[in-house]
Amino acid sequence: MLDQKISELQSEIERILPAIADNDALEKFRIEFLSRSGKLASLYEELKAVPGDQKPVYGQKINTFKKSVETQFESLKASLQSSSASQKIDIDITLPGRERPKGTRHPITQTLEHMKSIFVSMGFGIVYGPEIEDDYHNFEALNFAPNHPARDMQDTFFVKDDIVLRTHTTPVQVRVMKNRPLPLRVIMPGRVYRNEAVSARSNYFFHQVDGLYVDKHVTFADLKGTLVTFAKNFYGSDIQYRFRPSYFPFTEPSLEMDITCFLCKGKGCRICKHTGWLEVLGAGMVHPNVLRNCGHDPEKVSGYAFGMGVDRISLLRYGIDDIRIFFENDLRFLNQF
Amino acid sequence: MRISYNWLRRYIDLDASIEEVAQKLTSLGLEVESIEHLGRIFDGFYVGEVLDVQKHPNADRLRLCSVRVSVSDYPLRIVCGAPNVAAGQKVIVGTVGATVPKNQHDPNGNPFVLTKATIRGVESFGMICSEKELGIGEDSSGIKVLAADAKVGTPLAEYLGVNDTALEIGITPNRPDCLSHIGIARDLAAAYNTKYIKPIYNRFENKNINISTLATVNVKNTTDCPRYTACIIQNVEVKESPEWLKQLLNAAGLRPINNVVDATNFVMLEYGQPLHAFDYEHLAQHAIVVKSAERGEKFTSLDGKVHELSGNELMICDGERSVAIGGVMGGANSEISISTNTVLLEAAYFSPVSVRKTAKRLGISTDASFRFERGIDPNITVEASERAANLIAELSGGVVVSGLIDIYPQKIVPKIISLRVARVNAMLGTTLSAKQIKDFLESIEIGITAGKDSNLFECSVPTFRPDIEQEIDLIEEVARLFGYDNIENKTSSEVMFSAPDQHERQITAIRTWCESNGLNEVLTNSLIDSPTAKLFGNEIVAVKNPLSVELESLRPSLLSTMLQTVAHNYNHGMSRLQLFEIGTVFSAATEKNRSGYVEGYVEKNNIGICLSGEINMQSWHEKQRVVDIFDLKGLVMSLLRGIGLDNSVLIYYNASTSLTEMTIGVEINNTYAGFIGKVKPELLKKVKIDHDVFFAELDLDVLTKFHAVKTYKGFSKFPTVVRDISFIVKKSVTVADIEILIKKSGGERITAVTLFDLFEGQALGEGMKSVAFSLKINSHEKTMTDAEIDVMITTIVQSVTKTFDATLRSV
Ligand SMILES: [Zn+2]
Repeated sequence: MLDQKISELQSEIERILPAIADNDALEKFRIEFLSRSGKLASLYEELKAVPGDQKPVYGQKINTFKKSVETQFESLKASLQSSSASQKIDIDITLPGRERPKGTRHPITQTLEHMKSIFVSMGFGIVYGPEIEDDYHNFEALNFAPNHPARDMQDTFFVKDDIVLRTHTTPVQVRVMKNRPLPLRVIMPGRVYRNEAVSARSNYFFHQVDGLYVDKHVTFADLKGTLVTFAKNFYGSDIQYRFRPSYFPFTEPSLEMDITCFLCKGKGCRICKHTGWLEVLGAGMVHPNVLRNCGHDPEKVSGYAFGMGVDRISLLRYGIDDIRIFFENDLRFLNQF
Repeated sequence: MRISYNWLRRYIDLDASIEEVAQKLTSLGLEVESIEHLGRIFDGFYVGEVLDVQKHPNADRLRLCSVRVSVSDYPLRIVCGAPNVAAGQKVIVGTVGATVPKNQHDPNGNPFVLTKATIRGVESFGMICSEKELGIGEDSSGIKVLAADAKVGTPLAEYLGVNDTALEIGITPNRPDCLSHIGIARDLAAAYNTKYIKPIYNRFENKNINISTLATVNVKNTTDCPRYTACIIQNVEVKESPEWLKQLLNAAGLRPINNVVDATNFVMLEYGQPLHAFDYEHLAQHAIVVKSAERGEKFTSLDGKVHELSGNELMICDGERSVAIGGVMGGANSEISISTNTVLLEAAYFSPVSVRKTAKRLGISTDASFRFERGIDPNITVEASERAANLIAELSGGVVVSGLIDIYPQKIVPKIISLRVARVNAMLGTTLSAKQIKDFLESIEIGITAGKDSNLFECSVPTFRPDIEQEIDLIEEVARLFGYDNIENKTSSEVMFSAPDQHERQITAIRTWCESNGLNEVLTNSLIDSPTAKLFGNEIVAVKNPLSVELESLRPSLLSTMLQTVAHNYNHGMSRLQLFEIGTVFSAATEKNRSGYVEGYVEKNNIGICLSGEINMQSWHEKQRVVDIFDLKGLVMSLLRGIGLDNSVLIYYNASTSLTEMTIGVEINNTYAGFIGKVKPELLKKVKIDHDVFFAELDLDVLTKFHAVKTYKGFSKFPTVVRDISFIVKKSVTVADIEILIKKSGGERITAVTLFDLFEGQALGEGMKSVAFSLKINSHEKTMTDAEIDVMITTIVQSVTKTFDATLRSV
């Protein structure tokens, strides 16, 4: 009885199996014959009806039969898979790949990191200072006399009468000149504060990078050379530039550096206020009063210093017309960088 | 400062285009910020003659005019609706392409461009204008009819005499000498190696009366007022200024008022000397007394504002009362009016510090105070006063009383500063000769006498240059006149080695890790409102003069501003927020500070990480779910591992903060580094976020400090065996405790314990859970036998079941 069933199944399988050519048919076969409720499983049901002494014999028979069908099934499956890899089959490879989420660095960080990398390659170290600063470091040591109109250039937030939120990163110059041995060649990035109404063009805080080089025999010509090298690396080797005399209490002589507007190439546009030039940094020779305030003899050493605004440069660099968007942190903005 | 180019040319002959002059000024440090050709708004407008006027065939109120605007060209046909148009008139014609400054038919009066238009079927080639349309008058009732002798074809700007150019110059605070047309002419003359000329004018002096019989001046505070001069002009007729004066003032951005006031403003912009005209008849006892204000005194200034004085302000008084705030603003009680007949003219030198303090305290900034604060020339006073007095006389038909009262007890003399030629070249990196340097300095009126040798100059600095105080300031003058662009760009300075230090590299590594793992970097405000700040503790640092109450306190944590960012993004439709920020947080110090900071304050550089909303990007292959605490905990652990802190991190679970729940503390090498937690709902409610937000904040100094180069440890040559065990325990037993016990009881041969399954269910019994661990077992000495491993597992099982009252589920 059971013998007959086994041989019937065997011939049925021998008929079907060689004709199977795809995964669907294979799966159909698996369900019909090999699944828990399949035809082979039903043989074990029939085993119940077999007299007790013959059970082990038939059990063994069914097992052997099942094993052989499974082996045939697996080898067919393997051969189908290997042929499907070479044939065009049913996987839609236009499905999107499993991507990793993309993070972003803030555009201001990106500008700053670019600046840092150029200065580091030019031999500058990187140092930081406090954002809560005293009047001495923020103003007095930097040659801002009390009641001098130059203080008006920097609207100040006061924490106490003599404690301010630093209005520039320049006080870090005083700290390093006082605390570190010469020669000194460092840049000083950080956040600074001005008590100004927030608008598209100005924010009450922004980011600056100051630079300082103090050594024997540092000259104005060295300063110009350094700034040109930086500007050509940062803005591109084809830019035009100019230096203008300017005024900062802590440097003398002082200068401002303009580069040709990279939007209009110097023809004049809204961004450069129709002058064709963009102001990109201020600089000068460290004022002898400042050197003296920091314990150095201006007859023996000299130095240059410079400073630039990271946010303003980022506006120009990325073609952004409202500074506030930097600090809104809208993902539709951040994900563009 | 805004200057008029025509005005400037009264003092210097310039053989260059305006653009070239502007460039020269900029290279001198007088940056030209804009050039405005004032006549340009009239481009395309000409004087025309109406030849013929006919009725419009299709409109009763319109005429067809034939208008000649060029002697050589055909007349234009223009459709005109003005009632007063007539043949033979000289009129102002706007041609096609010209921009009409004011559209009479537009409520806002916006400009519009003239085009060839068809009006009721007839083509019109321009427009005859009213004075209102051109902004040269108020009459809009009809077209402007010009004088009969107006020449046809004359450009309107030329006809109106508007051919001036205004230059906006950014004058730095150190250059008060350039806050005048003569001052700028002086610098230009030096740059062009030419001369400038001071104004030549007629004198209207009445030699028969001396000022001493008419007025007295008494300066009681000579510290704040080192010099005070007064002169008197009689028989003035106060009226409108002549056209030339109004045009120059307008071009320089000053509104003409009347001939007397305009004359004082003119001379201020000419010489840089602010002047004030009093109505002589309104000065009690015809006296001027210069003294400090009375404490609590009330004073009404020219602009009608009432000021309460502190007693420190320098006041100009008459015999009875205050009549002006010295150097800042005159008073309403003595101002020039239409009935003024005699003028007392003040020209003084006030101390910069005193004027600045007063102007700041009273919140007034005027053209006068601006100049006094920066420091005018104390020795120009008399010259400017005489010039102004005679100009007033000329414009008003008056006469200047002879004599001038000049109270100047301590004459301010030129500073003498030594300059070493070698020092100039050492600072600038130049090779200028002594002769070149001398020429540069003399060109800006610095007197040079040779010192001990030919390489040392004694320089006498004119009093109009208060900014030149020491040798370096003279060196700047040399650099400026030599030209910054003529100084070499030297790149040969000694090479110095530099590489980013440990701290800098770690920060970069952290940023890179975060970016690579899908986090967006944000930069948020440093200032927040004080009530929120106080939620973080009491050591809050606030600013005394905040922009608003929302921006009053320095943030003690990155949390509140990052939450604002989360709220903003939810409000704009974002649903997956994974953010980080690196920034400074602040608190008032209770203990002694670290060095390098201001005593009493602590600043920390922190990283904040915020997760909220969906965990995955939307995709076809992953089921979406929202983030939970284990996402953030795992992220922080991965970050710390990623930056090389894998062996030194300790997590503990009793960290409590007032802002987060489920809070987990993080320690690195036994130093507290920060926390991970779920933001409390109260806090989220404040910023209207209705999603869970998970937040971690770690101290970057701790994260960067413990990085160390790794030491290699040999690994076992023998195979690792993996065994799984699972227990049923009370829910209150923590997985961490079980893990620790497994490691302890299994000994060092347990190389890893990983939880791989966790579930609860009815079948396990109330309050119970099943935990399954995968153990990796390995020995450095030998291949372990099954029997040995069985012994080890038995020990572990016994220990766990006993300690935690657990049941073994399977081994
Ligand atoms: Zn441009």
